[in-house]
Amino acid sequence: MLTVTDLTYTYPGEHQPALTDISFSIADGTCACFSGHSGCGKTTLLRALKELLPEGILSGSIRYGELPLTREDVLTGFGLVFQNAESQLLCSTVFDEVAFGPENLCIPPDEIHQRIIAALSAVDLLEFGNRNVERFSAGQKQRLCIASVLSMQPRVILLDEPTSQLDGKGREDLLRVLHHLKKKGISILIAEHNIQPFTEIIDRYFLMSDGRITGSQDYPPDEYRRGQQNVASEAQPRKKRAATTTVVSAENLAVSYPGSKHVLCDSSCEIRDGELIHLHGENGCGKSTLLKTIAGAIQPDSGSMTVTGKKQPKAGELLGTVALLFQNPQRQLFEDTVRDEVAFTLKRLNLPEKVTNQRVECALSICEAFHLRDRLPLTLSFGEQHRVALASVIAPEPQLLLLDEPFAGLDPLQRLRLLKILAQLRQEKGTTIVIASHDPLPDPAWSDRIITMQNGRIVSPEAALV
Amino acid sequence: MKRRLMGSDYACQYRAVDSPIHRLPAGWKMFISTALSVWILVVREPQPLLLATASCLLYYFLARLTLSDLWRDTRFFLIQFCILLSLFLYRLGYPAGLWPGIRTSLQIILFFIPGIVFLRTTQVSSMMKGLRKIVPYRILFLLFTSLRFVPFFAREMQEISLAQKLRGARLSPRESFQPIFWRDVFSCIILPLLVRAMKTADEAALSAQARGMGSRADRTYYDVRVLEAQLATREKTRTRTDTTPNKKLTCQKLPIKRRCETNEK
Repeated sequence: MLTVTDLTYTYPGEHQPALTDISFSIADGTCACFSGHSGCGKTTLLRALKELLPEGILSGSIRYGELPLTREDVLTGFGLVFQNAESQLLCSTVFDEVAFGPENLCIPPDEIHQRIIAALSAVDLLEFGNRNVERFSAGQKQRLCIASVLSMQPRVILLDEPTSQLDGKGREDLLRVLHHLKKKGISILIAEHNIQPFTEIIDRYFLMSDGRITGSQDYPPDEYRRGQQNVASEAQPRKKRAATTTVVSAENLAVSYPGSKHVLCDSSCEIRDGELIHLHGENGCGKSTLLKTIAGAIQPDSGSMTVTGKKQPKAGELLGTVALLFQNPQRQLFEDTVRDEVAFTLKRLNLPEKVTNQRVECALSICEAFHLRDRLPLTLSFGEQHRVALASVIAPEPQLLLLDEPFAGLDPLQRLRLLKILAQLRQEKGTTIVIASHDPLPDPAWSDRIITMQNGRIVSPEAALV
Repeated sequence: MKRRLMGSDYACQYRAVDSPIHRLPAGWKMFISTALSVWILVVREPQPLLLATASCLLYYFLARLTLSDLWRDTRFFLIQFCILLSLFLYRLGYPAGLWPGIRTSLQIILFFIPGIVFLRTTQVSSMMKGLRKIVPYRILFLLFTSLRFVPFFAREMQEISLAQKLRGARLSPRESFQPIFWRDVFSCIILPLLVRAMKTADEAALSAQARGMGSRADRTYYDVRVLEAQLATREKTRTRTDTTPNKKLTCQKLPIKRRCETNEK
């Protein structure tokens, strides 16, 4: 049994502890979930268990069984799977990746071989042993990360937001793997704000807030769900508009990348002025490609595309009219202040300074980021960076706003806050908004229409009218 | 799907197929690559250069690499080909500059091909095994992990560039040649890329630390091919002494899934 008693940790140079008096115990072969909003200390807790925190002030005890943990116990007994599978994979092939941990522990090669077979079998990747990890899907990469930790034969597996990059199928596969591990007697600790996919395997829920455990129970926390529902009602758009003008018209679009088959094929859809659309589909079904094609960043191989009245537009021609927000805000932040960041496109449009300032203030206010206007964008939290990036794309008051997986990395409250901002944007500016996401929206009532994609095709352009 | 998973969309990445070149030990491949590259550098006349080109291509395709792999691996050399040829034609005139221009730029491309074949056909573990006697493991790890992240950063750069272009950054090929727009290249692409690189390096370092990197003074090295050969030898020895086949050992041989299934049957 893993027992943590009064664990308190303060980061170097900070005064406020990131973890305060954390105490819990978990029996072998059980699964516990630590849930809470971004910044509540979930990741810090997992890293504290794995002794991966910088040298700050640490107190309290962590025991496995009767004795306190030694460094060796932590190294071999705890396996940590980080949130971002991509940066966690260090080797080019599956075998090398899974062998990496045991090699570092000086395990003899023939035993490593046995461990690789066992670990890859557990995550159902045995047949991919010699393959290049580069081509793997997000779900396969996540499972490979688990295998690379399993080969060290841990007694406890720590998973940091394991579903943040996964679609429905990826989650199902992951859940199957976790079921299997639990049956084998391995304890699982999950830090996750999206607890829904794991409810059938979780035995104990711990709710965290400001670095403390504020509650624990055997069923999904009500308080947490109630909090979501309250904000959900605010996020709903106030009125649905009767849309008439067509903003996007795509007919029989086909797009392919060099060396691959068609990513989009025979796709047709129409998006009308002022609509709120949820573009739904599994990872790799062509949602991002469709958004990039609409934004003019990709030219289709065949078919026709008209966006805001322009036929087959190119990226530069739609500046100020169509905006695309990518998943990771860090990809677009570079200026010295938030104000400059938001003003970037407006300056490129050569708008008068007065208009630029007005629009910057308006965009920051809508995105609830006005108070951050003089801050350095790269020093903000992920949620704040996300709002600044959104402000920077809506500042030119585009007619069409496209968002690619905008909920990744945001906690449920931040997700609902984003929907609320977008609904307000439509209300105030009449912006047409398309959200591409593999998940159902946090508030299903938000969208006017769901466009579903499957294997590069739009399968229901008009279905699910709300 | 399986074919897709064997390679990568990016140049110089390991291609997981079986070929005579894949089966060669890393040391031999290094020797052949060096010999071919030196040969290519010293040839001057058209016929020997043609022979060297044919040898290089034969070596490349013997590794079961495809034409599209060749295109990915060499497309950026075409830029130097055009620049060098133009410079030779400008300096020596036509037709005097044509042959030296073609020869020099072709030699540069061909010089790198054997090295590319080495990267395409050699697993990181085999490279490390060959080099660890002369280079410290930590440096090797740094070098080869960097190789693993080349496609990742290439993808990041594409995404960053696309995001910034859509925000109005002047990053088209034509604009990139004008010094007035170089600020955009630095601030809109290089700066976010550096931030991403630092974050990724931090995460990769944590991942390595979490899996015991540096926790011991030494480490073991797993090489699936060596192990397979060892198991085969053990298997032979056992079958000579014992007529009953050892099912457990046979099951460990690779390709794993197929052999295991055969045994189960």
